[in-house]
Amino acid sequence: MKRTLKAAIAAIGLAVSATAGMAADWTPPGPIKLMIAFRAGGGADTQARLIAEALEEKMGWKFIPEQVTGKGGLNMANTLKGQPNDGTAIGLAVTETFGYNMAAANAGMSPEDFTGLTTTAGFQMGIVAPSGKGWSSFEDMIAAAKGGQDIRFGVMSPKLADLAYLLGKAQGVDFNIVQVKGGKAVMNGVTAGDLDVGFMAGIQAKGVASGDLVNLASGLSQPLVQTPDAPTMADLGVDFDSDGYFVFVGPAGMPDDARKALSEAIAAVVSDESSKAGGLVKKAFGGSATIMGNDLTQLMSDDYSNAGTLMDAASE
Amino acid sequence: MGTLDYIWLGILAVFQGPELFSIFGLPISVTLVMILFGFLTGIAVGATPGLAGPIAMAIALPILISIFGYTPDALLPVMGFLIGVMKGATIGGAVPAILFNTPGTPDAYMTTLDGYPMTQKGQARKALRVAHFASASGDTFSDIVLIICAPFLALLVEAYLDFPEKTALLILSLSFIGAVIGGSPAKGVLSTGLGLLAVYIGTGEDFYPRMSMGSDQLNQGFPIATSVLGVLIIGAVFKEMTDLWHQRRSSGTRPSFQDEGNQRLSRAEIGRLLPFVGRSALIGTAIGALPGIGSTLAATLGYTVGRARHARTKAEGAPDFGDGAPEGIAATEAANSSVSGANLIPVLSLGIPGNAAAVFLILAAESIGGFNPGPSVFRFTQDVVNPELVIAFGLFTAMFIANALNWTIGGLFMRSTGIMVRIPKHILLPTVLLLTLTAIYVQEARIEAIWFALGFGALGYVMRLLAISPLPFVIAFILGGKLEESARQAFAATGGDAWFLFGSPISILFIAASVAIILFSARRKKQEL
Repeated sequence: MKRTLKAAIAAIGLAVSATAGMAADWTPPGPIKLMIAFRAGGGADTQARLIAEALEEKMGWKFIPEQVTGKGGLNMANTLKGQPNDGTAIGLAVTETFGYNMAAANAGMSPEDFTGLTTTAGFQMGIVAPSGKGWSSFEDMIAAAKGGQDIRFGVMSPKLADLAYLLGKAQGVDFNIVQVKGGKAVMNGVTAGDLDVGFMAGIQAKGVASGDLVNLASGLSQPLVQTPDAPTMADLGVDFDSDGYFVFVGPAGMPDDARKALSEAIAAVVSDESSKAGGLVKKAFGGSATIMGNDLTQLMSDDYSNAGTLMDAASE
Repeated sequence: MGTLDYIWLGILAVFQGPELFSIFGLPISVTLVMILFGFLTGIAVGATPGLAGPIAMAIALPILISIFGYTPDALLPVMGFLIGVMKGATIGGAVPAILFNTPGTPDAYMTTLDGYPMTQKGQARKALRVAHFASASGDTFSDIVLIICAPFLALLVEAYLDFPEKTALLILSLSFIGAVIGGSPAKGVLSTGLGLLAVYIGTGEDFYPRMSMGSDQLNQGFPIATSVLGVLIIGAVFKEMTDLWHQRRSSGTRPSFQDEGNQRLSRAEIGRLLPFVGRSALIGTAIGALPGIGSTLAATLGYTVGRARHARTKAEGAPDFGDGAPEGIAATEAANSSVSGANLIPVLSLGIPGNAAAVFLILAAESIGGFNPGPSVFRFTQDVVNPELVIAFGLFTAMFIANALNWTIGGLFMRSTGIMVRIPKHILLPTVLLLTLTAIYVQEARIEAIWFALGFGALGYVMRLLAISPLPFVIAFILGGKLEESARQAFAATGGDAWFLFGSPISILFIAASVAIILFSARRKKQEL
């Protein structure tokens, strides 16, 4: 009798928590493996580790961060795909991984193999040149290129290489597009003079503020916060943009309570600018941007299906 | 931010880093303690025949990373420890060489030639003092050269070398390393080629993993720790184990000798040693600055030059080299110790490791992140702090702290490690193997890593059987990714010019030199035969 009663109470408890969607009641059945698709020590890696640290403190969950880098996040995605979907394995990558990169690799993965949890921050993607070049606007650079100057355009992913190519095509010039590893490498190349201009996803902020670097254009669909007058991709005649976010994901079919608890907990940490993780997101990426639930699912699947159009356009 | 500000920040980074404990209100940073631990470990390891600095560095690295984490704060404590090991091992190697006629590290072989005869004459402690004095002097000299040269060279490279020249420079270093390490250029180049082949599995810019033969395990390529530790450490352990199997262990008791006469070094004696120390330090530093030539050659050269001088200048009745001349120990130890500092010149200014110790420093920097040895480190930015430059000066500070430890407590500790030689190899080797595998698993946390490491261990074993040096393999594995990346970038930056390597006089010179060095060393080898 006692046992039945206990079971009944437990069942009622479960039902109540499920119907009420009390995400806070969810606790991971074990330590959470956190796969980080970025090199150790960079801004993105630090972000992931700080978020894990904050969640350990706040929620009492236990995280095991590990680096699974390479192939534009696809190595991480591939490893994560086969992990249990009970919330004990999640990963941090960028939306580009599940969009362009996944479509380009054509390796039998699609966003449907994953559960999107939440984005943490967007990129303030600018097209940046050193002020020493003497270009104060995008047209100045195009004029220099048309004057016969070779322009080395630094990018950090194949998608950005396509965008740079389309940008050149729309403006009637040929850039020498150089792909380097990570935004930091673009910035180093630009400051050292190895590159003339490049995509930078937010790290240019300090340099632009001090006047060493110039945001010639916005790589986004929207103007840059820091340089609102710089033209957007659409203004420059390109129908595509580099809008993208850092995104936490889990394997496909993650139960709703786990998904909700994880995404809300992560979003709460990054939105809190007084936390270490939130502070970093504010400092390095201009503040948090948390898209979750169905919005995120939609975003990821749109990115994936639009990637083909971009690739077709770039290979024309 | 001037140069002096950066130097000051670097020093502060070491002394004011995360605090471990405080003595009388004076905070002691964790970096300082790690340098001390590393240094003492290094001496002990160097004094143990069968172990060497790189083994200790290899085992310690993953464990340290798991303790300190992946934050930039971890760089100085971890690398400080490794630098301590590197420096300690060089002086430790002299102990068994002098006391028991068994060199603790390969480069201490020449030390046995005069060290052991001195022991037989009852001058063991004096010989140890000579070794310590010469070693510490050579080391300090070489560090000073490093600190002056590395930033300068890096700035030069950054100012004059474009993508194509950087690619050509990497090719030159690889061919140089292949040609000079391991005796035969053909074997060296083979070893380099195998290293490149291994690193290109699964990596690359394409989204589709190359050469993985459809295997999920190979998709991400081989983790750098498995290949480096596998070939260098596990391979060596396998080889030593089979050697042990073949030879019957000598069970004879070691002879002991009574101390005779004054064991101290007088001022006049130091004066007599100085010319030998000075020459050898110069030789060692010059050799150390070239990637790939190890301290063993430096020791041999230093000894040979010292012997020639000694034959001309020695006093009537003083012992010859080989009969227990303190000058012989000084010439050898100053030369092999002065390699270690200079060896970091190519590491810090170009990102090119020259020996096994440097390999582990690069490995540490790559695993922790936030510090990429190479020309970009020495960017003296004015308005914003370049954190990598602060770390670089922090490392220089760490080296000088290690030197200070060397001068003060090094000699004392060194003279007490004679006991290490009694550790039997049949216990030592399995322990090293177990620790190495554990260390790899700690860092990689997947079981494939163990299989990879054992596979690379087997490869390292076979290479040693065939007298192929594994070091070019490891260096090629480390530089392979960089080589591909810079070649792709050079190709793109020149607007798709397939002949980018021949586009400028500098890169043509580098390529010509890479071919010449292999041809030249192959011909010389033939003549020697």
